[in-house]
Amino acid sequence: MNLDRDPALEAFRTEVAAFLDTAPTDAIREAGRRTTSAFAPFDQAMQWQRILNDKGWAAPGWPAEYGGTGWSLEQRYVFSEEYARRDLPPLLPNGLQMVGPLIIDKGTDEQKKRYLPGILSGADYWTQGYSEPGSGSDLASLRCSAVRDGDDYVINGSKIWTTLAHRANRMFMLVRTSTDGPKQAGITFLLLDRVDYPGMQIRPIVNLAGEEEQCEVFFEDVRVPASGRVGEENDGWAISKHLLTYERGASVTAPRMRRHLEQIRAAARTVPSPYGGNLADDPVFQRDLGEVAADVISFECVEKLIHSGHPMAKDPATPSMNKVLGSEITQRLTVLRTRVAGVGAVPRQLEAIEVGSGVEPLGSEFELTAMPWYLNSRATTIYAGTNEVQRDLVARTLGRR
Amino acid sequence: MDLTYTSEQQALRDSLSRYLDRTYTFDQRQELLRSDRPWSGDAWKHFTELGLTALPFDEEAGGIGGTMADIVAVGEILGEYLCVEPYVSCVVLAGQALRAATGSDPASRLLEAVIGGEAQVAFAHEEGAGTPAAAHVALTAREGAGGHRLTGRKELVLGAAQASAIVVTARLDGAARDPEGLALLLVDASAPGISFREYRTIDGRAAASVDLQDVPAQLLAQDATEVIEEIIANGIIALAAEAVGAMNALLRQTIEYAATRQQFGVPIGSFQVLAHRMANMKMAYLNARATLLHTTALAEAGTVSAVDTAVLKAQVARFGRTIFESAIQLHGGIGTTDELPIGHYAKRILAFEPMFGDPDFHLRAVGAAAGVPAR
Repeated sequence: MNLDRDPALEAFRTEVAAFLDTAPTDAIREAGRRTTSAFAPFDQAMQWQRILNDKGWAAPGWPAEYGGTGWSLEQRYVFSEEYARRDLPPLLPNGLQMVGPLIIDKGTDEQKKRYLPGILSGADYWTQGYSEPGSGSDLASLRCSAVRDGDDYVINGSKIWTTLAHRANRMFMLVRTSTDGPKQAGITFLLLDRVDYPGMQIRPIVNLAGEEEQCEVFFEDVRVPASGRVGEENDGWAISKHLLTYERGASVTAPRMRRHLEQIRAAARTVPSPYGGNLADDPVFQRDLGEVAADVISFECVEKLIHSGHPMAKDPATPSMNKVLGSEITQRLTVLRTRVAGVGAVPRQLEAIEVGSGVEPLGSEFELTAMPWYLNSRATTIYAGTNEVQRDLVARTLGRR
Repeated sequence: MDLTYTSEQQALRDSLSRYLDRTYTFDQRQELLRSDRPWSGDAWKHFTELGLTALPFDEEAGGIGGTMADIVAVGEILGEYLCVEPYVSCVVLAGQALRAATGSDPASRLLEAVIGGEAQVAFAHEEGAGTPAAAHVALTAREGAGGHRLTGRKELVLGAAQASAIVVTARLDGAARDPEGLALLLVDASAPGISFREYRTIDGRAAASVDLQDVPAQLLAQDATEVIEEIIANGIIALAAEAVGAMNALLRQTIEYAATRQQFGVPIGSFQVLAHRMANMKMAYLNARATLLHTTALAEAGTVSAVDTAVLKAQVARFGRTIFESAIQLHGGIGTTDELPIGHYAKRILAFEPMFGDPDFHLRAVGAAAGVPAR
């Protein structure tokens, strides 16, 4: 075992801090403070990604030969810690954490050349076309069809929960190319280099917080080039399973959770307890906060165990366990946020939360964001395969079922 | 970042497991508990031969210069076999206290005897409510003409009645909750004024309440707050390792049982509610073990904080409860009997819960410090 302090790491921390202190614009900082989900406000997140990419720091998790940083796990943690400390907006995950690594692993040389630079720089935003009305966590039941016709596929059907599709210029998706045999065996993975093909229609869906984050996408005889296929026809299930291992646990998220704790405790210092003193000193609150904080720290230990390649992390259940633990802790953090915000969380302030609106919030920024964050986080135990499905997957690794 | 055991640690674990597989099966252990013996003398002798009693001590003191990671590597195995030998109390707690008493002749002689496996020394600290912090100690040491004298009572002193000497935490000055005035003192177990009320803990260890009435004692260390806190922290890590070892065994045995036990014509593990309960057990084990290994690595690097130890203490107890309560439920009626190892693992984890502070105490400490800077 080895966790010795490394002076070179402290020098690296200084370098990271200096950049993160000066590089983001005011709007990017505001977007970070107004982030209430896994998806930061779109324009500023993409702008920030371009700035980070110019520095070479947009994709710490990528292999260095494709534009990654080549950082050690310790350096990735330092970067994430300094990043979280400044409340900077997280980069949108679809390109950097999902389709990018997939193209690196499974794409053709042509696809890598064509798509990776735009994913890295933030010139392109990729929306994910997986779920359909009726096909959520039972993804293999999807019906949106693609029929080969010459050099094209012709797509008919619809997709739902396509995050920020109305802001996207590209889309990766799963389509049904065969109905023979088991349902998993007739699925194909496609990359669409536009989202404005004739016959394609995008409809934003307003969520509980009043935001337009998710969309529905309709396809009517949409012709897309077959050169966007990743892997073989009907082999999309294996491709998407490979991608899911990134989606469910490739990132370093514990530092952001720790930042939540700091903010919650700082806010609790300003809130009076009905029993006297402030909430931060109330024994019941301390205990409840401590329980979530301890779970965050344990989660960080799990995350480090996974990323350091410990034998326990080679268990096929690991991505599912990581997804369940991370999403349930995130939800509990948002519960604490609304608890501390109290009545300050009740006003609906859609205009004030808009980055750059200039509308003065009624109370603090903490109060402004608490309820949207809570409401948005209800989705974390549903998306990427519900936690019930993940528990089934974990149980399946336990032996004879 | 490396949280894996070294090949030397793995080899030590393997040879300890091989020995315990042969001599310390569940049935053999139950027979030992039914006898009058407090623990297995043969096992203790073997532990000494394997170097376990010398593990955490410097080479100058006659030890082999091991680290917290070595203690944890061994502790997980002791937990898996539900060992009742006083390894944590004699070697980790009392041993470290003796080591802290530099330049004290009886202490270094006693430490040599502990390392050689010839002496049992107990560590008396608990005064009720877990006594999680050195400052909570109230027992008084008064300096008189012939040296120091101790008066007061200590609870849950593991291996006390079998020890030749006892290290006692006490205060020379001030009152309970005062962080100053604390000391470590050594008393002879046969000194006048000392009396024991012996019992077995629910998980089978020999322990006693120790009453001290004006007992002559030798001062080992004064201004000892930091030393005592460090001994407690190491004790927590070592006991947590035993609990995590027990959790591993519980998880394994429950999965095996659920795959074979038939009800309604199918293995009970095929019922989704039970499958999800086992998934939660597996996540609890991952959480607890990751927290244990990470805290251990921090301790080895000398950067472990009070919050880190508090997290470990609370989490192992909480996740341990998730695992053992589910293990009993999944085993059904047979899980509620004393005949299966399941309940004995449960009691090992349960006994860990209040020692050195219960989860509520530690969670409050974590909550009061939440937002601690990233390490």
